Amino acid sequence: MQEKREVIIELKGVEKTFRDFWLRPTVKAVDGLDLSVVKGEVFGLLGPNGSGKSTTIKMVLGLLEPSAGCISLFGLPPRSIAARAKIGYLPELSYLHPFLTARETLRYYAGLCSLDRRTAAERTRQLLEMVGLSDVADRAVGGFSKGMARRVALASALVGKPELLVLDEPTSGLDPVSTNEVKTLVKTLSKGGMTVLMTSHLLGDAEDVCDRVAILNHGKSVAEGRIGEIGTSLEEFFLAKVGEGRSFEVAPFLK
Amino acid sequence: MKAFREIFAMQFVALVRSKALALLLAAASAWMLLVPRLVADDGTADGAHQVFVRYSLGGVFALLAACLGAAAAGSISSDRALRRLQLTLVRPVRHSVVALGRIAALTAAGALVMSVAAGIALLRTDPSRPCYGVLSPVMESPREEAERMYEVYMADPHTPENVKRAKKSAVVKLLTQKAVDHYQTVSTNETARWTFPAVPAGSSESVAVRLRFTTLFNTREDVVGDFSFGDMRASVSNITQAVVTIPLKGGPAPDGASELVFANRGENALMLRPRRDITLLCREKGDVFAYGLLLAVVVDVCVLAAIVSLSMFLGAGLGKSVAVFAVMAVLFMTSVSSTIVEQYPYELETNRKDQIGLVLTRFMEQATSPVGSFNPVDALAEDRRVSAGELVRAVALDLLALPLLLSLLAGLVMSRKTMD
Repeated sequence: MQEKREVIIELKGVEKTFRDFWLRPTVKAVDGLDLSVVKGEVFGLLGPNGSGKSTTIKMVLGLLEPSAGCISLFGLPPRSIAARAKIGYLPELSYLHPFLTARETLRYYAGLCSLDRRTAAERTRQLLEMVGLSDVADRAVGGFSKGMARRVALASALVGKPELLVLDEPTSGLDPVSTNEVKTLVKTLSKGGMTVLMTSHLLGDAEDVCDRVAILNHGKSVAEGRIGEIGTSLEEFFLAKVGEGRSFEVAPFLK
Repeated sequence: MKAFREIFAMQFVALVRSKALALLLAAASAWMLLVPRLVADDGTADGAHQVFVRYSLGGVFALLAACLGAAAAGSISSDRALRRLQLTLVRPVRHSVVALGRIAALTAAGALVMSVAAGIALLRTDPSRPCYGVLSPVMESPREEAERMYEVYMADPHTPENVKRAKKSAVVKLLTQKAVDHYQTVSTNETARWTFPAVPAGSSESVAVRLRFTTLFNTREDVVGDFSFGDMRASVSNITQAVVTIPLKGGPAPDGASELVFANRGENALMLRPRRDITLLCREKGDVFAYGLLLAVVVDVCVLAAIVSLSMFLGAGLGKSVAVFAVMAVLFMTSVSSTIVEQYPYELETNRKDQIGLVLTRFMEQATSPVGSFNPVDALAEDRRVSAGELVRAVALDLLALPLLLSLLAGLVMSRKTMD
């Protein structure tokens, strides 16, 4: 069945090597990554710190150029305007303009997505209501708590009605109730046909939401599969793939 | 267009809500009000007017160039450092539009502050004070003069040996620089003639000669003699002012290009640089200070747009502190390079270290001359209004071409720059 679904994201042999000022290679963050995400799927990109998740996401978003290999979004280069028109992005931290209010923030991003004034206003109202910020819509986001700012960022990711939602640690900084709300939202959006690519350190969250996951380690995909087919808990699976034998050497410190 | 409007509005709102715009307005207003108390003039009404216009509006322009330059340099670079930029760059908007919208917003803020400063200037001066268009003598270009003088100069026994050994192109370049400041001496009871282009039809009744004795050391010379221009006549006897305006009377200006004749009746020879020191002032209907001020502000805003664009481009490729430093260095070099070149024009007559410094300074002067060569406020202080050509050049080059080109380049740099 999966073969018949439209491929939204495709990475073939993607590599990313960061270089210093003199163009000498410093670190290979992604190493020969092959990946495909199909329409309507919630795909989790998991891995320990420094495994290349964020670099992969930035390449998918067109913020970084791969050193080798190719990436396509909707069959288009990630930097094309047409591809970017279909993407919503929630970064790991909510990088908002502190002088804008929540309403202005959403209208700003709606404007960048070329929504007309009336549609932008209506979409803004709906999203502020959805993330529970209608009461503080006209307060500058610079004064918001981390959780509130996260909600604004999530709403702004959705304001252009994207076909692909890229979420970098979507539940980071949220309380348990809000975390649950976000997870429910992701599942609802997915059921509505939206494709979601997300990273998470919280394996429980990924297990609850994702249809399929890939585990990255040292820039390579070490495992990939559907959640239901792993046969064990995601945490055990994850540790088996990237964490086996790793622990802090505490004894010398205690002597 | 919609994305441009949104980015423009966001940047302008940020300037307003961060109180940066209010601070700029307060600083500019305070400067405009303080200048007459801070700067001494020569005691004449004209001197007071010149000092006020030059230092008040010039100071506000310098303040805006520095502040908006720094703000533009930090706009993209700090957004990138704070990772806000990536939220914009993943949207379906051209990266050059991101730069252009910000350039437009900062330029608009500059225009607002300049307008307020101009409003205060109008309240403190006579808006109906005469203002003039300017005609310069028709002469061969400095390059043509240099080519003509080359053989004479090389045959001169006083020409330094190292200059004689230098390549012709280097010597011609040196002579070209000298030609700009070529002095002409009009001895006692001698006559000098300079050809001027046709006076605009609307101003043939109101023509004046302007002599400007602003030398390197601001010394003043005495000038006594008679001018004639077609049927127009005037006499001059002046030993005090560095800038002398002599109205010509007695008939309409001649049709077409014509000679201005000066007969020196004084006791001393008159030395002047025709390319710089003598001009014809032509006043058309409506040529008043208020109109001249409007044109000067428009040109200054155009120059601000060019400065902001360059700063935005640098900020797109560099970190904030490096970009701000680079912008300040460029502004400083732009403001001093012409003075340095004017004071030390003969690089072949200096040592190697100074030659390198002069080459760099001259490069800087050449590179920034489209933006920095004309100072409309200084011209306005001397009752000279911006000409149509200067206005068109400022709008076409500084307000349109440079911002468009530099925002395109900034967009390319943004696309290439690694988003950490």
